[in-house]
Amino acid sequence: MKKVVSIDIGSTWTKGGLFVLDDSRLSLVKKAAYPTTQNNLVQGFTRVLAKLLDKDDQASWPQLAGEAEVYFSSSAKGGLGIAAIGLVPDLTLNLARLAAMSAGGKVISSFAFSLTRKDLTELERLQPDIILFSGGTDGGNTKYLLENAHRLKDSKLICPIIYAGNRSVAEDVADIMQNKEVIVTENLMPEIGQVNIEPAREKIREVFLKRIIHGRGLSEIVDLFGSQPRPTPLAVLELIAAIPGFNPEWSDLVAIDVGGATTDLYSNTESYLETDTVVLKGLREPRVKRTVEGDLGMRVSACYLKETGRAYIEERLQEMGIEINQMENFLSKISMDSGYLPTTETEMRLEQILAETCIYYAFLRHAGSWKEVYTPQGKVYVQTGKDLRRIRSIVGSGGFLSAGFSAEVINHPLDKLRHYGNEYKLLPEKAILYRDKDYLFPLLGNLVEKYPAEATALALASVEIINEEVERHA
Amino acid sequence: MSDKDTIILGVIGADCHSVGNKILELFFTSEGFKVVNLGVMVSQQEFVDTAIETNAKAILVSSLYGHGEIDCQGLRELCIEKGVDPIILYAGGNLVVGKTPFSVVEEKFKKMGFDRVFPPDVDLKQVANLLRKDIQEKFGQARQKEEERSL
Ligand code: B12
Repeated sequence: MKKVVSIDIGSTWTKGGLFVLDDSRLSLVKKAAYPTTQNNLVQGFTRVLAKLLDKDDQASWPQLAGEAEVYFSSSAKGGLGIAAIGLVPDLTLNLARLAAMSAGGKVISSFAFSLTRKDLTELERLQPDIILFSGGTDGGNTKYLLENAHRLKDSKLICPIIYAGNRSVAEDVADIMQNKEVIVTENLMPEIGQVNIEPAREKIREVFLKRIIHGRGLSEIVDLFGSQPRPTPLAVLELIAAIPGFNPEWSDLVAIDVGGATTDLYSNTESYLETDTVVLKGLREPRVKRTVEGDLGMRVSACYLKETGRAYIEERLQEMGIEINQMENFLSKISMDSGYLPTTETEMRLEQILAETCIYYAFLRHAGSWKEVYTPQGKVYVQTGKDLRRIRSIVGSGGFLSAGFSAEVINHPLDKLRHYGNEYKLLPEKAILYRDKDYLFPLLGNLVEKYPAEATALALASVEIINEEVERHA
Repeated sequence: MSDKDTIILGVIGADCHSVGNKILELFFTSEGFKVVNLGVMVSQQEFVDTAIETNAKAILVSSLYGHGEIDCQGLRELCIEKGVDPIILYAGGNLVVGKTPFSVVEEKFKKMGFDRVFPPDVDLKQVANLLRKDIQEKFGQARQKEEERSL
């Protein structure tokens, strides 16, 4: 029997779980949490570890080390902020954003074509952790890339710049930006439509380990336990990526985490099924994909959600017969106190509307769509983006959804979204809904690299069914 | 990656005729071009976005189903708008509808900013030669400069 600890240093809470591994079966023993100690992340980490191992608060490192294997993740201090630079918005810029999000980062801004002086001022103000610089196919455009390299060189930016653009000018770009830390990797889009985000993701991970961890005082933990952290969302993504390999019934799944600041959507399903009547345009998106939306959140981002989601919110209030000003009061309450929990029946319904709104827009941006084109010999569909129709399981995770939700919270926004303008959104058609009832996904994600079979098995054993399969019709 | 010239192929609009497009891809590849084939049902935007990312020298637009004239209108303007204006534009396929003589159709397409226009029974070998010549004329100097710079 082996003790395994997994800890996630979040932006507000540091949470951990103690697991035992017995005969290749992993089970949860207990959980613990402590407010994240912003000034010194290690303090909160130690507290949680001591609680999990039944040591007293003041236990020192040597007493804690050696008792259990320890794995951890971090999204402290706002996570990993990445600025994405690409050329054409639908092509390389889209891919740069996708790569950043699939590496567990948060896209804090993105820029197409030439960087203007205003863009640079903006970049300098935002101080990203990483710049992901892409553009052009291999042998393709060089003009914009060289131009942007010169602009970046002249900027006051100090963060590492990962270059994942046209290979033909990779050396020139590195030469131009000799005054910066430039990491050259493979092109995100070596040929038109060809998606190659793995190498860039790997580099982002390396930078995260080398620079970010160090900067945030986590190297102490790395030295002591010999395990390297990952960004929290990457841990979840790795879990979602691994599940189908161990359980074919879960071959097509989505996990969604509606949080206070962001909404994260993870999908694992084939993005395009070729048929005679469906033509894919643009990029063929990867099987495993994450998107994260900074304007969709239930507390810290509620002020943005109000703007983004106005239409959905108003329609829903009307359907439920609630006055708009009640929502406004509720919004001002939660913006002032991000720990606020609804107390009345009405407030609970308002809370539900906010969650639905996050889910609506998260799916809108994650899922692809079909546009009907009438040709003289019949209808043909032009697909852009990722097809989520074959998703069989949707797991709600994170503070809000793990606590429990009704099927309506996911089904209502999905049904509303199905016909969006003149497009048909490629949303899950028959999915069973689950909730990650102990909020274990991030913690198990940390264990997936070392114990893939055991961690995925526990993840599936710990979800609870919300509804039986529903058949939906387009 | 190579120093081959990149050209873009595609069938414009809601046109699904895919056979000729496949033949063109095989042919121009064997003629030594780097071919980026966007297939059928290609929008103007897609042609131009691809031209930007790939630094293509020419776009060869096909239209088979009879709506070529409408679909092709504004393509040159979009190229100018997006800053890829020196690009060479060819059109071919079944551009003639009804009994209009080919020369009239050719004139129309040239007015729209296409450099050359071809009937369906054109000798492709000849097209490849014209394309090489046009690329040399339009981009030859720029290329020479680039080579000098890298020496
Ligand atoms: C097969 C076919 C179909 C198939 C296509 C299957 C497929 N996946 O491709 C189907 C049944 C789906 C079809 C549908 C239609 N078709 Co149809 N089809 C044909 C047919 C019989 C053969 C086309 C073909 O494959 N030719 C062989 C290839 C090798 O030749 P190609 O396409 O012409 O391409 C060559 C040249 O044109 C040239 N070329 C092409 N593009 C370019 C570009 C440049 C720059 C250059 C230099 C050269 C070049 O090089 C190519 C290679 O050699 C033609 C008639 C014919 N004999 O051409 C009608 C034909 C093209 N179709 C026609 C029509 C009207 C239609 C429909 C609108 C009507 C309908 N009722 O179904 C629909 C349109 C569907 C759509 N949205 O696109 C008309 C077009 C009339 C016009 N332009 O005025 C034609 C000419 C028949 C006719 N005589 O009426 N069709």
